[in-house]
Amino acid sequence: MPPPALRLNAVAFVSPHNHPILIRTFAQPRADELKYHYIAHTSLDVVEERIAAANAAKSTECYLSLLYTMEDVAVYGYVTPLRVKIIIALALTDTVVRDADVITIFRALHTAYRLSVANPFLKANTPLEGVNDHTAMLNAGSAKWKGFRRRVDEVGRALAGVTTSSSSSTQFH
Amino acid sequence: MNSYPPELLAQLAPVMFVGGLEPPQPPGQGKDPFAVLSWRLRESLLHQRKVAIWQPERARKFQVVIADKDVRFPPRKLVPPDDPQYQNSHSPLSPLTPTSPLYPDGLIAPIWIRKHTTLIPSVLVVFMRIYEYPQAERAPLETEEIDQQRETEERRKDNELCAEIAQRKRIAAERGVKLTVVLLASRKMLDEAVLDVRLTYIRRNSGLDPRAALFVLSPVSQSEVGEFVHSLQEALWEPALEYYTNHSKRVRRKRNRHSQAVSAYSLPPLRGEVRPLRTEGWSVRYEYKLACFAEFRGEDEVALRHYQDAYASLLVMFGSTAILPPRTKRWAEAKVLADCINMKICKLYLYNNEHSLALSTHNNHMRKFADFSRGWGIGEETFEFWSWLARQHRAFAELLEQGTRSTLTIPTHFSTSPPAVAAAAAVAQTLDSSQRTILEMEAMRMLGLNPTQALQHPGFYYYMAAKCTERRRERFLSALDAEAKEEPTTTSPGFTNEKKVDHLALVLETGSQLYTRSYELFKAFSPSNTQGHSRLTLWIAYCIAQTYYESGKFDMAVRFFERIAKTYRREKWGSLLQPLLTAWYSCAQQMGDMELSVRLLFEMLGHGIRTQQDDADSTQEDLSAVLKSSVPSITEEPFVIDSSDLEPILVSSTVFWRNDVIVGEAVAFQLSLTARPTVSMASLPFVSLSIHFSSDLPPVTIRHTPAVYEGTPSLQKIDLGYIASPTSEAESEDKEVEGSLRWRPDGRIVFSGSVSSDVPTIIKITKLILTLREGSWQIQVPLFPSATHAGPTYPKWLNKIEPWTFVPIRREHYSTVTVRHRPHKVEVNISHHAPALIGEEFPICVDVKNFDDRDMDIVVDALLQPTEIDEAENFIRIGDDRSTSLVKGASLGVIAPGASTSITLHLASAGAAYDRVIDISVQSRVVAVDDVVSGLTPPGSPTAPSLADRDEALRTLVIPAVEPIRVEQQVLYNRSLRKQPGLADLATYSHEFWDDGDVGEAIVTTSISCTAPSGIVVEAVKVVRENNNQAHVIDSSTEQSEEDFLSEWLSGDEFCDRCRIGLAIGEDYIQGEDIAGPGMYELSWRRILPDGTYGPTATSRFPLPPLRPPVDALVALLHAPPSGKLHVPFLLRLDIRNRHPSRAANIVVHLETDTTDSFVVAGLRSGRIPILLPGAEESLVWKLIPVECGFVKVPHIRVLDRRRDPQDLAAIAGDSRGGEIVRIVDVRWDGRSGAEDGVQSDVVGRRRSVEEQTAQPLILVLP
Repeated sequence: MPPPALRLNAVAFVSPHNHPILIRTFAQPRADELKYHYIAHTSLDVVEERIAAANAAKSTECYLSLLYTMEDVAVYGYVTPLRVKIIIALALTDTVVRDADVITIFRALHTAYRLSVANPFLKANTPLEGVNDHTAMLNAGSAKWKGFRRRVDEVGRALAGVTTSSSSSTQFH
Repeated sequence: MNSYPPELLAQLAPVMFVGGLEPPQPPGQGKDPFAVLSWRLRESLLHQRKVAIWQPERARKFQVVIADKDVRFPPRKLVPPDDPQYQNSHSPLSPLTPTSPLYPDGLIAPIWIRKHTTLIPSVLVVFMRIYEYPQAERAPLETEEIDQQRETEERRKDNELCAEIAQRKRIAAERGVKLTVVLLASRKMLDEAVLDVRLTYIRRNSGLDPRAALFVLSPVSQSEVGEFVHSLQEALWEPALEYYTNHSKRVRRKRNRHSQAVSAYSLPPLRGEVRPLRTEGWSVRYEYKLACFAEFRGEDEVALRHYQDAYASLLVMFGSTAILPPRTKRWAEAKVLADCINMKICKLYLYNNEHSLALSTHNNHMRKFADFSRGWGIGEETFEFWSWLARQHRAFAELLEQGTRSTLTIPTHFSTSPPAVAAAAAVAQTLDSSQRTILEMEAMRMLGLNPTQALQHPGFYYYMAAKCTERRRERFLSALDAEAKEEPTTTSPGFTNEKKVDHLALVLETGSQLYTRSYELFKAFSPSNTQGHSRLTLWIAYCIAQTYYESGKFDMAVRFFERIAKTYRREKWGSLLQPLLTAWYSCAQQMGDMELSVRLLFEMLGHGIRTQQDDADSTQEDLSAVLKSSVPSITEEPFVIDSSDLEPILVSSTVFWRNDVIVGEAVAFQLSLTARPTVSMASLPFVSLSIHFSSDLPPVTIRHTPAVYEGTPSLQKIDLGYIASPTSEAESEDKEVEGSLRWRPDGRIVFSGSVSSDVPTIIKITKLILTLREGSWQIQVPLFPSATHAGPTYPKWLNKIEPWTFVPIRREHYSTVTVRHRPHKVEVNISHHAPALIGEEFPICVDVKNFDDRDMDIVVDALLQPTEIDEAENFIRIGDDRSTSLVKGASLGVIAPGASTSITLHLASAGAAYDRVIDISVQSRVVAVDDVVSGLTPPGSPTAPSLADRDEALRTLVIPAVEPIRVEQQVLYNRSLRKQPGLADLATYSHEFWDDGDVGEAIVTTSISCTAPSGIVVEAVKVVRENNNQAHVIDSSTEQSEEDFLSEWLSGDEFCDRCRIGLAIGEDYIQGEDIAGPGMYELSWRRILPDGTYGPTATSRFPLPPLRPPVDALVALLHAPPSGKLHVPFLLRLDIRNRHPSRAANIVVHLETDTTDSFVVAGLRSGRIPILLPGAEESLVWKLIPVECGFVKVPHIRVLDRRRDPQDLAAIAGDSRGGEIVRIVDVRWDGRSGAEDGVQSDVVGRRRSVEEQTAQPLILVLP
């Protein structure tokens, strides 16, 4: 029995200063977009609480596990070593969601983010104001730069692909 | 949960009826002690347990009901037991009884539970008074009679009591209820022996059980009452359980009978629509009853199982519309029952901390009934569905809330130490999928979490309930719409019903209540470290505000919006702010708060939010409309929009062309204001913009003048001209320019100008005030260029307007310009003639020349860098100011333009030769004209020093220092030729006695060479004597011919001096130790300067070397004259000294003559000398007559020490002549270098003595 497929409804990248970098929604009713903005924002509460707990325990764990479930989504959190928070909303199904699967999604998203921020042109016209300057990452999510969106969408598509292929295969057999 | 019958939800516990506690009101002071006791008992019993839903404790506590003493229980059946119909009749509540509310097909009614909780107990406790004979008038003589009288009286009363108890006993026994009697007696009574007898009598006669049926209690204190109540419950617990077990047994029997004989069961014939209860219904009934009885007993596991069975049977019933036709009364009852059973199951799981099971049960319940609802025509599109779902969520939330108040803890789904699990997951991932067995797959499942089964705090479920209520409202509104449109709708019975009540108000009310409840819980459960509002609560607050808005409570909504907006603004979540501002604005419109509307519209402009999505002009049109249609509340003052924490409506950026200018120099700047791209503000009637600068620059005001041509260009440039600080008071009026202040979307206006300052300062643009005037509105919008974020890209400088050309300014500080003083033109020259010589004061000349056109006050500081090389006293000196590190504030005075002055700094270096580092700082300060006139600036004004026009020139010098003179010294030691003093010579005791016998003299040869590259002139050389008791300077060659030294020494010149030092070694001298040199050479010298003159006198000192004289053991000193005359006899003396500290010597001397000898010898040829004691000396003299001329050798003398060193075995074996050869030293050539190290020098000395022994002294014999 294959592990149940996860449906990714939305992804949010939040800067260490809690400014939104990029929020993408994959859920079909587009009207819900605002809802995921709210979910991303409210998740920060839990994320910060978890980070504090992890710090207190001297843990370097990035994966913050299930943050909460609300209405029809389960919200998971991840914090990169440089404190960028990644929050995903998975469609709520009554099955066990393996942490390993969620971590895989997070790793893919983290890689997408890393690759995008590594773009040197993001900082081409910005004043160099030190390492704590997050303009580059905020830029990466702005509408002007498409690479980051594209990579995140690819992750979303890949997950959706898993879902469709598995569902179609069950149809055939 | 209020919407459900409380009976179906409450936690059940054994019921105890208590009778006989009559007074229901508290007795006053000094009342009958039994009344007090009754009251206390009553209170204590009633407080044992409260009816509640969440009660997981398993303490043995009864649900106590105060009943009448003569309480009657409801009859088991409607027919009396003696009726022949009794067997076939049923309980009054049974669906089979036509008068029952459940007739004919009801399941379980709350009344059934109520029957068991309020009408029938499991135990009945009756309090009664035992009769006590009054004892007041008891005379001693009447004892017998009175006792008898008393006994009969007591017996009579007891019999009455027994009858009463027996009566109750019978009633109780009918329902299987245990009866317990508590007899109240006075304390005195307890002590009487007769009491036991009476009690036994009473029990027997009243037919009470032998165990736990009769208690006696006397008036006692409150705490003892508590103890009694506790022990009473303990004693009655078992019978109570038994009671409920019996019920369970009975029900189980009936269930089994029923299920076995389903077909045989005689159904009453169908009459019309009345259908009897189906098998499934009976099953539900029985299971539910079993569950309840188990719950009464406190057997949670059993109860859970039965509830689940009942629930399953109910589901079967719901599954078929034939069994349970929808929208009937029974159907509604069954739904309530199902919901309640679900709650019970959840609760029982939660008691056991099985959170996920509870949650999944609840979810399943909602899902199943949602499915059913669709079938019943009340699916998601109806408000009934959402109403029901909201109720489910709310009930669950309430259950959790009650639970969290006592024992329930919400699990956390995050552990900070998951590495083991994560690692296992990673390992499992790497495995080939074929390798994974089913078991491993199962194990993998343990690595995850089913999010639907993760229990969260009740706030989430309240939130869900509130959301559902919102949906319910939406559906209801659409239903109303549909009705209004006369569309054929499936008007449900509920709809017409709901329309009667003010449905909207109700829904909004509950919605906001639920949200508020959720908000409170989120606040309560939020981590303690987030101060104030957490984001989750803000979200819910936003939901509350929305609800308020929808229910028309705009003022409330606005209050919420205000608080929420603060956080959203701070965290820059524009996407969240957008709907909030829109809703807020609508509120403000509804409230007619024009000022708030204006403020919000400005904020929306700042965020680029349109009031109508498809119209970029909508926001400004709204704003214009508001401004035109209203008047401000205060017309005297302009209305200021405080935008310090808002997004400004225009993005401003200031660029100064340079960031560093000198006083009086003008610097160009550009201020660009850019409008938001998404909204238009072209028609907003801005009248002026004033630009405020820091420091004392006057503000500039731009007045709006309509553009000459139509339309607003996307880029304009307005020239501000030159702005300078006012030179006098009269001139300080503000500068004004004119230009068009209209922006189109993404339009930009660049204001360019130049500024200068007469004083050093930092210039920046501090504030921009944009003024808008419309009707009686005058609005000021302050903008703060520095407060807004700098923007993600480099600022751009508008280079050309046709076509636009921008130059990016790639500098860090572009928004400010620093004005500095002109640098001073002061030249500093430093001259010196390196290298410096150690010991001298080396002059360094600092020459300062003022090339500036102002008078300069010059001050010099010098710092000698400390070194770690030595502790020598290097120092620097300027004038009389001398320091080892810093000489500060050496003033050169005021220097007029063109003049120059100099100061000499002296460096004195001592110690080793290395490079000295000196920092020299020459500070100049302009002597201001008014300084002279009005004196110095008042001390204490902090700005004074920073404003002074100062400058500083820094120089660092590295000066090599070398030694001017190098000295090499060599020491030779001569043996003393004086006769050894005798052992007891009195002179040796004299204070002045100089015992040089051991070591004699040391001769120090000092060669002094000049190494100073410049050459020196030596003025004096002398030996400074520092005699001590082991060494003293006897004489020195400098003392004889000093003039030879005193001349100019050039580099490489070398001079030599010999110095004789007398040595005396006392007994306290340890061999190998240094004797301090008894003096030093002192050279006074001057440097020869390049111009041939001499520098200042310096003195170098070189101490005499430390002395380390060698020590002898046995030695023979041969005194031979340097020359002789042919045929003239002379004496040859040999002194043999035993310098050994402890050993005596046995000396044999041989004079070996040879035929070739040039001498004729008279004296001892061969003989033994008396034993030489340590320290003793013996002289032998020969007379020699030379017979040959020239350098002739004296005859060979051999001295042997016969005494053998017992340890020197080699010498014994090797020397056939049987003795050790003693070294003979020719005193004319005596001279030894210093003992280097104890033993080694001994060895060296011995080897040399062997060599010397063969060499015979030479004498020049003259004819």
